Amino acid sequence: MEEPILRYEKIDFLGEGQFATVYKARDVKTDKIVAVKKIKIGSRVEAQDGINRTALREIKLLQELQHINLIGLLDVFGQKSNVSLVFDFMDTDLEIIVKDNNIVLTPANVKAYMIMTLKGLEYLHQNWILHRDLKPNNLLINREGILKIGDFGLAKAFGSPTRINTHQVVTRWYRSPELLFGARQYGTGVDMWAIGCILAELLLRVPFLPGESDLDQLSRIFQVFGTPNEETWPGMKNLTDYVQFKIFPPQQLRHIFSAAGDDLIQLMESLLALYPPSRCDCTQALQMPYFSNKPAPSIGSKLPMPSNLSKIETDKPSLKRKLLESIDGGSLAKRLQF
Amino acid sequence: MDDQACPRCKTTKYRNPSLKLMVNVCGHALCESCVDLLFLKGSGSCPDCNVPLRRSNFRVQLFEDPMVEKEIDIRKRVLKDYNKKEEDFATLREYNDYLEEIETIVYNLTNNIDIVGTNKRIEQYKKDNKEIIMKNKAKIGREEVELEEILEIEKQMEELRRQEINRLEQEAKKQKIREKEALIDELMFAEGDAKEILNTFAQNKANKQEEVLPAVPKVTQFSTGVKFTRLSTQPTLPLIEEGPLYKYEAPIVPDRCGPDAPSIEDIVRCGYLKHVRAENETEKAGGYKSTLPCLRALQDALAGLYHTS
Repeated sequence: MEEPILRYEKIDFLGEGQFATVYKARDVKTDKIVAVKKIKIGSRVEAQDGINRTALREIKLLQELQHINLIGLLDVFGQKSNVSLVFDFMDTDLEIIVKDNNIVLTPANVKAYMIMTLKGLEYLHQNWILHRDLKPNNLLINREGILKIGDFGLAKAFGSPTRINTHQVVTRWYRSPELLFGARQYGTGVDMWAIGCILAELLLRVPFLPGESDLDQLSRIFQVFGTPNEETWPGMKNLTDYVQFKIFPPQQLRHIFSAAGDDLIQLMESLLALYPPSRCDCTQALQMPYFSNKPAPSIGSKLPMPSNLSKIETDKPSLKRKLLESIDGGSLAKRLQF
Repeated sequence: MDDQACPRCKTTKYRNPSLKLMVNVCGHALCESCVDLLFLKGSGSCPDCNVPLRRSNFRVQLFEDPMVEKEIDIRKRVLKDYNKKEEDFATLREYNDYLEEIETIVYNLTNNIDIVGTNKRIEQYKKDNKEIIMKNKAKIGREEVELEEILEIEKQMEELRRQEINRLEQEAKKQKIREKEALIDELMFAEGDAKEILNTFAQNKANKQEEVLPAVPKVTQFSTGVKFTRLSTQPTLPLIEEGPLYKYEAPIVPDRCGPDAPSIEDIVRCGYLKHVRAENETEKAGGYKSTLPCLRALQDALAGLYHTS
């Protein structure tokens, strides 16, 4: 193999997260544009552990996964004590699109995004992997309008009867009630809840449940869906971090999403069911009437793109966003406890 | 007073943008969290003036000056009993005196002037005018019934309108079917060129649509008499691009090089679950189901059985 550093020609700086720096680069060998994620060494203590844990997860899982709606890991190379991952280059992400006021999202667009996300997630779940960090920011979109799920730093295998998982996963606004109550044994429901929140955000164009703390998050959830009781959520009181909440009456989703049709409300209700076992899985979701009903999902080339796509690369707003996020604790969720 | 602040915890609107000040009957403001705190032990009294308060009487402060809120509260209470109408008085002068008295009472109560005396005055008035108060209350009740009736009529009108729209829709549908049938008949039996027949029909249809198009903008009239009309000049959304409708396709199962594992339904039905640890209530509440590990174990066990090097 030739020297990998020479194989990838750095073009641009894309952004910086808590664990890595991302560059846009050209693969000299194939002349393709790629994204190179250079994992930071971090603190001394972390360096002693060897390779960064989130990077290891990403490498381990993505190596074996291949789906049009999952980010593709093209290459991994090391250089001294640094590890870099090479990914498909993606032009934008769903967060940018949702926040761009110049973009009109039609019902067909929303449907297309949801289908692509759910298909990727269905594949992931079928292969016994939970993503555990779904949010608009991690749903990457390229110029062809193909959505790919990215950032597998928190992904983990599920379906083990004995393994205890941490509940400190998923960015708070997209975290499901059972995680907030400290459940250690959970299933695909945590990802489905996040999908529901993302769908709501696509419709509202602002985050659906922007909790300011874990407790505030729960009370926001209950203010919408009503406070669960032992009847609607058996066993809830046994969860580790269970706290009694004020009794809120459930609201009608159709009043919050007044523009949504009945089939969409039906989907939302089963994605955002409080009781985890009654939440639908990806396959059930994709088979719901909303997806087969009119309007048909937009085809990739018709999906909106931020108008300043070329400017993004020069202005680097994504860097600013990432930095801001790490300042105000947006990266908090990424701290793993074992 | 640009910066609203809670008198108890001193939080300002600037520091906590979601600060909500609440007022009770005594007219002293408290922020929402302080109210919560106050009633933590069940009951509480105003930290400013020690008046015992009821939680249900707390309302969001609408006016900057909490005294206004207090006055509104008091006025509401006083007017419940002082409910005479102009018709109840012989002369305008008497009526004006009566109104003046109400104002004095409200002013006194709001500004804590001779509260005991004023309350006595109210009691006295109540005793003296018991009958007339009851009568007027009943009258108000009648007014309410009338309002209810109007609302009922409005509801019925709406129902009628809905039915009308439904009828029109059905008619349009029928019309379409009839047109189609006529076209087919024409094509079947007429001698002329098929293309020409199609053209004439298309033209007829277009003409008809043009006739219908200049619809009068609908004028909605409210019971208040306010008219408002939806302007038809609103830009319409860009036409929705039509793609193929979505149809669910199961993802391709990778070749596991072995016999297929049973489906989830089979696992439940055929008793596989007897041999795995059932989930306890806590695990179930967290969304964990024992069917999934069971399926996974079966998949793992069966995968690669046919493998030959």
